[in-house]
Amino acid sequence: MPRTSIFFGFGVLTALAAGWLVFPRALYERREQPFRFPHKTHAEKSGTSACNDCHTLGKDGEFAGIPKTKDCATCHADRMGSSPAEALLVDNYVKRGRETPWLVYSRQPANVRFSHAIHTRLAGMTCRDCHGAEGESDAVPVYEQNRISGYSRDIWGHSISRLRRAPGDGMKMSDCENCHRRHGVDAGCLGCHE
Amino acid sequence: MIPTRRDLFAWGGGLAGGMLFTPVPWKVLDDVSIWSQNWPWIPQPARGPVEEKLSSCTLCPNACGMRVRMAAGSPVGLSGMAGHPVSRGALCPLGFGAHQLNWHPSRLRNPLHRGRKTSWEEATAAFRKALGEGPIAIIDGRTGRAASTVLERFAAAHGATYAAARTAEEKALGPYQRWTGVPTSSLGYDLENARTIVSFGAPLLDGWATPGRFTRLWSERAAGSSNPALRLIQVEPVQSRTAAFAWRWVNVRMGSESALASALARVLMEERLVTARGPMPSESVNELAGKTGLAAETIQSLARALVERGPVVAISAGDNPSVAALNVVLGAVGARGGILRRGGGTKSPVPVEALSGRMRAVLIDSTVPWEVRPNVDAEVFRFAAWHGGTTTADWLLPAPGFLEALTDVPTPPASAIETYAVATPLMAAEGSKDAARFLAEIDPAAGSLEDAIKARCEAIYHAGKGGLIGPEPQPVKGLASADKLYEALGNGAVWTGEAGTPGGLRCDLKEWPGPSAMESPAGWTDGWTAPVLPPLAAKLYRESDLRQAPARSDV
Repeated sequence: MPRTSIFFGFGVLTALAAGWLVFPRALYERREQPFRFPHKTHAEKSGTSACNDCHTLGKDGEFAGIPKTKDCATCHADRMGSSPAEALLVDNYVKRGRETPWLVYSRQPANVRFSHAIHTRLAGMTCRDCHGAEGESDAVPVYEQNRISGYSRDIWGHSISRLRRAPGDGMKMSDCENCHRRHGVDAGCLGCHE
Repeated sequence: MIPTRRDLFAWGGGLAGGMLFTPVPWKVLDDVSIWSQNWPWIPQPARGPVEEKLSSCTLCPNACGMRVRMAAGSPVGLSGMAGHPVSRGALCPLGFGAHQLNWHPSRLRNPLHRGRKTSWEEATAAFRKALGEGPIAIIDGRTGRAASTVLERFAAAHGATYAAARTAEEKALGPYQRWTGVPTSSLGYDLENARTIVSFGAPLLDGWATPGRFTRLWSERAAGSSNPALRLIQVEPVQSRTAAFAWRWVNVRMGSESALASALARVLMEERLVTARGPMPSESVNELAGKTGLAAETIQSLARALVERGPVVAISAGDNPSVAALNVVLGAVGARGGILRRGGGTKSPVPVEALSGRMRAVLIDSTVPWEVRPNVDAEVFRFAAWHGGTTTADWLLPAPGFLEALTDVPTPPASAIETYAVATPLMAAEGSKDAARFLAEIDPAAGSLEDAIKARCEAIYHAGKGGLIGPEPQPVKGLASADKLYEALGNGAVWTGEAGTPGGLRCDLKEWPGPSAMESPAGWTDGWTAPVLPPLAAKLYRESDLRQAPARSDV
């Protein structure tokens, strides 16, 4: 085999290894959430089973998002256990009346709006369709932030090639469009954009 | 083995080629494009609690009802207010993106004197000085507002001329005002009850009057039907979008609309297709047909089509007495489905076109379209939120932008029903001042905007007519006080009075009007030159301009 071909092939292999193995790890910065939050424990101990017991929809359909500190304080006004997460919640946020600076996996650009009410009430989708089994987890996943765009990895999806993705993995505009197309929904530009 | 220079090149070539089969170039391209959307100097709405408020669009006089989506206290999205008595839940493309206008590069931020930055104090001093040195004119673009009261009061107190720039819709109603004495602000079209509309160049499907009103009617009663319940006949020398979607497009020679209106009236009376009798055009149908470029038989068949399905009303793009006279012949003036007299309205001020000669100063309100320039030799004080391009104004004074100042929204031109709304400020207006406030600071006796709006609420409350449409609909009689009315209007409710009724307007022709040059079709885009379109509207508008109409002409 000519020596040039060997070096060329070696270059191709280097690129493939760097592009598929090193690049995805280098692209995302792993950031921990302020403290560990076990959905599973809360569901078991509080007896809540529905997502919207805590992640409520307002009467106008507006999604309230993550519960506020005052909602946590109804049970966690004082430490309920000895875990470091419990101490952080009570000492840093509940007692000081500060909101927890959660890193939001689904944060979109400011010109995008998403109505949970339309998707759950009108389209009949379940929370699990997009969020997976998050409600049964022991800890919220690590937030991976794209070093270039600044958005969460969950927007692009966890598969760097965007092939063979799990349902609900990825929140790019093309994902919205594809799902709308599959279900015959014509949202137009202003359906999602301000 | 020591790699040679050639080996390194081969390795590099393989690296570059192989990279194309990895996500690197594609993902980096995607991420960089997103990163470029978030550069620090690009304005971003704040993150925060989301709420919705009701208001009225103030971009033009057509008073569309709006739902304003607010995030962290700032407007981030606009949509139509369903159930609005006039706009019926629709907005024009410009309205949908209007909240972006306040950040437009053409936004005026500082007072300018002949292109040089100046201060409000200097501008006020210059206007004060001009006040005592000669005749002054104050030009309003939307009469009937609370601000108009302030401008008019100031003009009366200082011997100035209060003049108004009229919209194309108001100009089209001008002949009826001259013939009946009823001001154009008290006249409207009863489109909802018309079954045939013949438009002489009026852009009915392209932003005419309150855009949602006619487009909703057309979509409900005409769109997609070869035998529609509402027949739209468009007389126009070019195939506009309205012409393309009309039931019939009548392709006439440029400037011959008056001749066609006269010819139609002559056929209607000669063939006794209408009951009206009175003065007829002096020219024969053949002579008039020759001017339009249409055959006399075509005009005769069009006249028969007009009366085939009544009520019928003719609408012109501007002040065209022949089209108005055609309405008289058709019996459309003061009749159901025609032109009605409604409540409210104010005496029409001097039209801006009547100003001429030498004056000491002219103050132009921000509601006056940019291209309106009074034909006078004077020092011009021009209020505007956005710089619209070339100007002859000596002073450019920054006015509040969209939803930045308190204003009231009276009945839109051409509406058959009287309405009143209040748009409260939803954004801070930094460094800007409207003409009414500017004048009230010079002479506090001119009064404040808020007081003028409250006075209007008092008048509506004490008249006890009509009701509120909005979050809590109720009749005016059900309100505890005028303050409650003011409060409800401030929260986005719209007051609707009584609709115009047939019989309240009578018009007889003494002689057939002479030919008039057709004014070019005008609409809401006239006051908005391309540089002040927000990005969203620019995109929508560009796309709509690309939409080609099918080439067809029925006549």
